[in-house]
Amino acid sequence: MSAPTYPSGTVRALLATPHVSDATRTALQARLDAPVAYEPQFLAPETFALLEAVAARLFPQPDRPDSPIAMAPGVDQRLTEGRADGWRYDALPPDREAYRLGLGGIQEIAQELFQTDFMGLNVEQQDAVIQALAGGTPPGTTWETLDAGRFFEEMLAELTETYYAHPLAQEEIGYVGMADLPKWSKIGLNEKEEREPSLSS
Amino acid sequence: MPDEEILEKGVLNPVQPEIQDPLLRTLLAEEPIATNTPQEQPQAVEPEADEVDCVVIGLGAGGAPLLARLAQAGLKVVALEAGPWHNPETDFATDEKAQDFLFWNDERLAAGGDPLAMGKNNSGTGVGGSTLHYTAYTPRPLPDDLHVRRDFGQGEDWPVSYEELEPYYNEVERFIGVSGPTPYPWGPARSQGYPLAPLPLNSAAQLMVRGAEKMGIKTSPAANAALSARYYQEGVGWREACTNRGFCQAGCSNGAKSSMDVTFIPLAVKHGADIRPNSFVTEIERDARGYVTGVVYTQNGEQKRQRCRHLFLCGGSVETPRLLLLNELALTSGQVGRNLMAHPGLQVWGTFADEVRPNKGIPGGLISQDTHRPKDADFIGGYLLQSIGVMPVTFAGQVARGRKLWGQPLRDYMRNFNHIAGINILGDCLPHANNFLELAEEKDARGLPKPRLHFTAQENEHRMNAHAEKIMRGIWEAAGATDIWSFQRYAHVIGTARMGRSGDDAVVDANGRAFDVPNLYISDNSTFPSALSVNPALTIMALSLRTADKFLESLK
Ligand SMILES: Cc1cc2nc3c(=O)[nH]c(=O)nc-3n(C[C@H](O)[C@H](O)[C@H](O)COP(=O)(O)OP(=O)(O)OC[C@H]3O[C@@H](n4cnc5c(N)ncnc54)[C@H](O)[C@@H]3O)c2cc1C
Ligand code: SF4
Repeated sequence: MSAPTYPSGTVRALLATPHVSDATRTALQARLDAPVAYEPQFLAPETFALLEAVAARLFPQPDRPDSPIAMAPGVDQRLTEGRADGWRYDALPPDREAYRLGLGGIQEIAQELFQTDFMGLNVEQQDAVIQALAGGTPPGTTWETLDAGRFFEEMLAELTETYYAHPLAQEEIGYVGMADLPKWSKIGLNEKEEREPSLSS
Repeated sequence: MPDEEILEKGVLNPVQPEIQDPLLRTLLAEEPIATNTPQEQPQAVEPEADEVDCVVIGLGAGGAPLLARLAQAGLKVVALEAGPWHNPETDFATDEKAQDFLFWNDERLAAGGDPLAMGKNNSGTGVGGSTLHYTAYTPRPLPDDLHVRRDFGQGEDWPVSYEELEPYYNEVERFIGVSGPTPYPWGPARSQGYPLAPLPLNSAAQLMVRGAEKMGIKTSPAANAALSARYYQEGVGWREACTNRGFCQAGCSNGAKSSMDVTFIPLAVKHGADIRPNSFVTEIERDARGYVTGVVYTQNGEQKRQRCRHLFLCGGSVETPRLLLLNELALTSGQVGRNLMAHPGLQVWGTFADEVRPNKGIPGGLISQDTHRPKDADFIGGYLLQSIGVMPVTFAGQVARGRKLWGQPLRDYMRNFNHIAGINILGDCLPHANNFLELAEEKDARGLPKPRLHFTAQENEHRMNAHAEKIMRGIWEAAGATDIWSFQRYAHVIGTARMGRSGDDAVVDANGRAFDVPNLYISDNSTFPSALSVNPALTIMALSLRTADKFLESLK
């Protein structure tokens, strides 16, 4: 099936309605209103820029040239606060160490494959670097001790969850589950409530 | 190269700067940032003058029912719960990220061939424990679930029979208000039907009916601990019916889901139980005879002591064995932390031309137990099938991990969200020597060793998954799905302080009492001798009430 597209603005419009609870509105609005400029607290500026560049390839957003959904700040904030999500692969070092080592390792892959920093590569080359990482056996000494497959999985999962928690990403996939007041009545196959968006033609 | 030995220990920032990538050199030269939770300093704790009859640690499915029962019997009871006490209406946004606080987010180390995802996949915290975010799917085990060893020669039998548990199943279902089909199509006839009619089927459930019918597989609306109609709850008043929010895997904001905070806990409070949230127990104290005399806990940064005559440990199957190991308690059998099991929870997803909108309606809508003891099985035990609903962030995370999609293909696939439906299994699991929990060298923010869980699925689990995957793919193909893929997962940690007939190979007896420590009881998922081929919460609650009754009888 080809990927459906939904009209934009649906979630933002619903946020203003009584279909959304106060707690829900507060959570989503905060993500919409997050300032564009972010100063990293944990990662050094150049490391943070590298993480942003990697995130941009994991979630290419040509449709949002001026204000892409930002994913790297969430990682930096979490590492700064030392927050965890309840578990970690025993094969990986602690998260802060894993990110530092892993990002360094990505530079190493870029150097090994193209003799250039990741940021200096064109998008096809950057994708080739990420593909090498995702494949689990990338070049570079870092990956002799850091499990490439696990590191990639963890980083990708974290960025993915940040991306799809954003109201604009939820608009993109036609999700309006946040507008659950007073209830959903039409829950069967091919049933939808008036407030649920239809595909744009 | 980083020093491997240190890396293994997992100490923060152990790496030598000179061997790092140049970009990171400056970073690593800096001191690591300390975690924002201050380490607890050892300090003298004032003894609390007051000795109570019972302390209950943990208020999930295992702790809350017995707390109510003990309070109802007129005992003086104190409940210590590590997490906060929430107000569902104001605290539970319909947003996955905003509800992260419901999960046990302290880090646990997942080792072995199939490392267990913890956090939101596995355990919760707060007054209500993991029931605050369980899917509320509450099938009963079938009687033969309790004796796999007798039937197959492997695994372990329960020291409690189905007949002994049956009245407790009846009681729990009636008290918390389970919606379900009467008569129930599988297992022996019941002495009592479900108190409420089944919840309406959502689209994933309807699709599963469509596919299963073509395959000759019988299905039925599932039993769910969510209200299909208003229900009167002692200690609460009228609880409203489910509004089909489909958000049960986070907190239910309208109290329709029968989590402990809107069922057994208000009952306990009504009968005088003293509930102390944000109270993390670290020490269990004993006298010279080995009897528990009290516990030390940290409440809002302050260390306190509570003396008690009897202790009920209900911290869930990771924290319960962890506390026992930390305190070197009840270790004679050598089974604390061992026999770790996890339910095979293989999911199969498909894309449909129809509009599914998988976030609406109760997520665990439809069940089949036709696969309980399949005739063509090449494995021990069995599993059940259920349709599943899903929320976007959880689903996207699974797509990233399980499907290995990234970049444009990931975004494209996720655009099909409204057309995706899933089925999963929940299957029995056998204990294995390689699967266990231990204390790691690495410390948490409190300065306590982190738990490390070793889990590797064995031959039996692999065979069961393969059998199930074939059936689930068949159902989705018959229902018209395209782009079918499977996600391998294991859920629920089970069996780390198991019950048995003898202290030689079990930690507690059939009544939940520790063989080593006469005034210590355990009530949670850790005491299960075998995993059962059904979701655990209903059985945890039933056992919890039985443990309380056996304890109360022993006082007479
Ligand atoms: C997303 C999800 C969906 C699920 N869906 C289902 C389902 O549909 N059906 C089903 O049957 N099961 C389901 N489960 C599993 C079910 O929730 C658990 O099996 C069950 O709640 C476990 O009960 P428990 O009493 O063993 O532990 P818990 O309910 O986890 O309770 C343990 C409590 O102890 C507290 N605690 C731990 N250590 C300490 C300490 N040191 N001091 C003080 N307090 C402490 C914790 O904070 C917690 O509140 C689901 C789980 C998850 C994560
Ligand atoms: S589906 Fe029903 S029970 Fe589940 S969260 Fe929504 S209202 Fe609560």
